[in-house]
Amino acid sequence: MTLRVRSSAKVDGPVDLPAVPGFIESTFNPLVHHVATNCLAGQDIPGDRLAVVLGSLVGDCTTTDLASRLLVQGQVHNALLFMQATANAVLGYLSREFDITGPLLALSTMDGMDDELLDTAELLLADPGLDAVLVLGVELVPTERAAHALSLLPATAPRHDLAIALLLERHPEEP
Amino acid sequence: MTEEVVVTGFGVHTAFGRGAQAVRDGVFAGVPAFAAATRFDPTPYRTPMTAAAPGEPVLREVLHDCAHDAVTMAGLNRGAQAAVLVGSAGDWTAVTRFWREREETGLADSVPAHLAQGLADRLGLHGRRLAFTNACVASASALIHGWRLVSSGWAPAAVCAGAYLVEEENHAKFDSGRALAKDGAVRPFSAGRSGLLLGDGVAVLVLESARTARERGARVLARFTGWGIASDAYHVAKPHPEGRGMAAAARQALNRAGLSTVDYVNAHGTGTPLNDSAETNGLRSVLGPSTVVSSTKGTTGHMLEASGAVEFVISLLALLDGVVPPTANYFAPDPACDLDYVTEGPRKADLRQVLSLNAAFGGMNTAIVLEHA
Repeated sequence: MTLRVRSSAKVDGPVDLPAVPGFIESTFNPLVHHVATNCLAGQDIPGDRLAVVLGSLVGDCTTTDLASRLLVQGQVHNALLFMQATANAVLGYLSREFDITGPLLALSTMDGMDDELLDTAELLLADPGLDAVLVLGVELVPTERAAHALSLLPATAPRHDLAIALLLERHPEEP
Repeated sequence: MTEEVVVTGFGVHTAFGRGAQAVRDGVFAGVPAFAAATRFDPTPYRTPMTAAAPGEPVLREVLHDCAHDAVTMAGLNRGAQAAVLVGSAGDWTAVTRFWREREETGLADSVPAHLAQGLADRLGLHGRRLAFTNACVASASALIHGWRLVSSGWAPAAVCAGAYLVEEENHAKFDSGRALAKDGAVRPFSAGRSGLLLGDGVAVLVLESARTARERGARVLARFTGWGIASDAYHVAKPHPEGRGMAAAARQALNRAGLSTVDYVNAHGTGTPLNDSAETNGLRSVLGPSTVVSSTKGTTGHMLEASGAVEFVISLLALLDGVVPPTANYFAPDPACDLDYVTEGPRKADLRQVLSLNAAFGGMNTAIVLEHA
């Protein structure tokens, strides 16, 4: 199957991101929201025929580690931090905003995130019930803990926050 | 051309211990596994209760043990082509240890993808290696992805897993969100239910095409004939009150399997006030009011990312044994939950099809149909 890029968006470097109501402390969710909304703006795809796949090696390490530091310091947890540490939170937020009722997936792989996300999109689009897949790739500058973890792996930490979104569909001229 | 997908092996660990017999003795007998936590000091929290096996098992080791059981049962050898797909958020104890003691042992397992890679390396399997991190539907998503890979011919087999062990980080977070049961018991679908409690869960399934299973002479345990994934598009944290996404996922799964009904539904049934009424509404809209449903989280607790895989195993055992596991800790009927929840204890039944449901934060829902081999 040949895929066609219907729209795309990217953040690669320091940028003032619009705040996303309810999301605090970390740039992860604003990054996801920013590239996703830019990619979906003006697109007319029925929500039940659109899938979203978010790929990130370590996820929202900023929120994860902030919550963990609060825990070991004996401070009362902020329930908001729990919500934001999983990608489900921002995916759920986007699904409501764009009425997306198709599949929402979040992945982590060490075997080449770009290729895996494209393969996953192709596999999803083999389903005749779907017309398009919004692919999101997000990586933050690692926290101290995440940097230590990544130093133990064959993985490279990004030097700045980055996010990319591609809205993919089957190539219409493919036989 | 699509391949028929079958199940040829499994391994499982719950608070009741390792293996199918432990599940039969605990889950199918309706025995709640809850006790005060011993892996961390629970005194700062509103409830000390969790469903955890004794000691401090290491996530990676339990995952590898279950995978060993699964591939041994399936007869899947080292060097085979098989995807390895793990539903997990990684080892949270490594995160806590880092910040508490600056300890780096096991820190790589705080990266979910490393668990999948480590499992593939341990099993000597060749193929794509992925972690699914979408919370309580993570391992159900891994299983559905495995179905897609095998059905489409992209992989001859897929080893699909879910892994979560009780630890302090998530206990603290659910406590802060006031989501934990106040009375120390998970009471799915019951009046007076007050929330969930966390539980140990690790399960590994071997999926493969019926054709390769026949060629290998592997025993087919069940057929994986349908699945669905749908989202509520309603709220970041709350389920749609009518179970919109859950119903859509169940309909997709039944359509894919070519069924209009099933003999038993293993529900997500967390024991939270909102989930259980929403799930009931969704199920009633798809299957009608006489649906036979139980939630096994009244025995196991909520196993987060592992829920889908462990409950896949429970559904498989229900099919194999002809027994519907009961809903434990049921106290009294709730008018908002009006289906047949199998509250009297395990029920013998000639089961031909089982539907397993899961839901997650963010409004994500999955449904899986298993049928008798």
